[in-house]
Amino acid sequence: MSVVLDSSTRVLVQGITGREGSFWTEHMVNYGTNVVAGATPGREGQEVHGVPVFHTVRRAAAEFPADASLLFVPPRFAKDAIYEALDAGIKTVVVLSEGIPLHDALQIRRAALSEGAMVIGGNTSGVISTGEAMMGFFPYWIERVYRPGRIGIMTRSGSLTNEVTAQIVKAGFGASTLVGVGGDSVPLTRFAEVLPMFEADPETDAVVIIGELGGTMEEEVAEAIEAGIFTKPLVASLGGRTAPKGTKMGHAGAIITAGKGTVEDKVAALTGAGALVADRPSSVGEMLQSVLEKVG
Amino acid sequence: MKLFEYQAKDLFEESDIPVPRRSLISDASEIDGAVEEVGFPCVVKAQVLRGGRGKAGLIQFASTREEARTKAEQILGSPANVPSLLVEQALNIDKEIYLSITADPVSGSALIMASAEGGVEIEEVARTMPDRIIMERVKLSEGLLPFQARNVMFGLGLDADGVRTGSAMLLNLYDLFREYDAELVEINPLVVTGDGALVAADGKVTIDDSSLHRQGRFTLGREYFESDVEYEGAMEGIPCLKFDGKIGLMCAGAGLTNVIYDLVNYGGGSVASYIEFGGPNYRKAVKAMELMMRTEPKVVLVVTFGTIARADVIAEGLVDAIEQLKPEFPVVTAIRGTGEEKTQELLRGVGLEPLTDTEEAVERAIELTTEVRR
Repeated sequence: MSVVLDSSTRVLVQGITGREGSFWTEHMVNYGTNVVAGATPGREGQEVHGVPVFHTVRRAAAEFPADASLLFVPPRFAKDAIYEALDAGIKTVVVLSEGIPLHDALQIRRAALSEGAMVIGGNTSGVISTGEAMMGFFPYWIERVYRPGRIGIMTRSGSLTNEVTAQIVKAGFGASTLVGVGGDSVPLTRFAEVLPMFEADPETDAVVIIGELGGTMEEEVAEAIEAGIFTKPLVASLGGRTAPKGTKMGHAGAIITAGKGTVEDKVAALTGAGALVADRPSSVGEMLQSVLEKVG
Repeated sequence: MKLFEYQAKDLFEESDIPVPRRSLISDASEIDGAVEEVGFPCVVKAQVLRGGRGKAGLIQFASTREEARTKAEQILGSPANVPSLLVEQALNIDKEIYLSITADPVSGSALIMASAEGGVEIEEVARTMPDRIIMERVKLSEGLLPFQARNVMFGLGLDADGVRTGSAMLLNLYDLFREYDAELVEINPLVVTGDGALVAADGKVTIDDSSLHRQGRFTLGREYFESDVEYEGAMEGIPCLKFDGKIGLMCAGAGLTNVIYDLVNYGGGSVASYIEFGGPNYRKAVKAMELMMRTEPKVVLVVTFGTIARADVIAEGLVDAIEQLKPEFPVVTAIRGTGEEKTQELLRGVGLEPLTDTEEAVERAIELTTEVRR
């Protein structure tokens, strides 16, 4: 089992005929993802790697009902495309684009909350349930990073995920599902909202979160642990302990503002809740070994 | 994109938010005309984007023409690299209020924060008296409703007149926040003058970088950056941050770079610069190396775990850059991911040792800075 998606999830791809959309659709299909249809305005009747294309999400969903939609669209069109998916009743949406305008992101977030939908992203590689299905761009053929296993992973970063996941694999583990919530200042789904899914998944033994300075998502994870919403072992790898205040460290969301978002606060909250916090990627594997051996 | 105070105040004025009489000058010789317009006493304020202007002596009061000229010369001549001065009427202050609008990522709304403890940083208030901060969340689809503005203004303890003018002002400030795709609009302090008027004595407006394509009014220029190299990097689409240390980081991906930054500091090293070598920039190695050389590092550390941004493509670019630019500093590499064997060959070809472990690479870079010092 896995969370967010598995090999039975019916996936729609918006922007399927573009260069990236078509390239990654092929990989997704090869990986075992159940891609049922695609949508690109003006391209109905075409096929992309055997997947039928429709003008609109509504027309696609009428013929091929979908559980989830993956967006390959430029950031400025993300809001329109996400609303289109939500309007068609799709409850899981993954948006990869980096640079969604801030006010658009706020509106999308609120719309998703009120529709009871989960919109994941932006600025992410997507979601992969190893050995089953993926929505996004993951070079799953690199075995020392994408090995199937029983560790749930959530991350705000693409590049760092490879580094940390390689350490997890090196320690003898693998991933159940990896959810990239993305590096923007308004992640459309937050760590703490995915956590209950990992809690409920019998094939996830522990969760690793890959976080960094900025925002309060790591603090919310600590709250979820303290509230008993999440009870499995949790290891956090956090970057930006020594980052200067007020400097935007690459990601739009990686900034300390109004005194909030320091890694110090995050470490205090997480350790206070009983989670383990790694100060470097290589410690993540050892920490997992220590907690999972105890569990038995 | 952070705007200068004078730009924020222009926007305030256009939105009917009261601001002091003011005049912008870029040379001390213009001070006479400016004080003529503004009157005495006046404030001379450096137009720089970094905070802490007061403590750095970049805001000075003057009550005579001579004093104003001396202060202007002093600030413009300071090593802080001040491009212009705002000369402003000094206000008769009764009370100081903090007021801002920003994004609340959790609820997906705009967040108004206000406090009667104005004039100090909101961080300070949040730490010492969190219950003195008034918060009001605004749905973007509905906009700021008048009752919400009243909630804020009554919360600040203003009298009936103050609530009326303050609410009208807050509605205008919210419109400005929306119209300019702001990440932050802040008035600190919002001054209540002796005769009960509300005036924005300072102003901050930050436009969301991801919205600049639909915000054509302001254009990034050199004056928005601390250094030439940061400006040029931004123009090339290669984000670049310059620090005071010794190791130049040319790493792929912000998340990874932040961890490397930590590892360097844990190990007793220091960072000279941070050049984003990931995303679409992995094909711009020569330009990135050129920028890197201008930040004058003692050692450069290249760490990537490129899977889509292929390792061998990154290595090819790096080899090109080294051959063309012949940097004098040592380059330490840990370039992993797709095409690793070819990567190692390429790097050995230009005399680099291809490491595969991040922490080992960081240690090596720190060792090299120590040796260079000797």
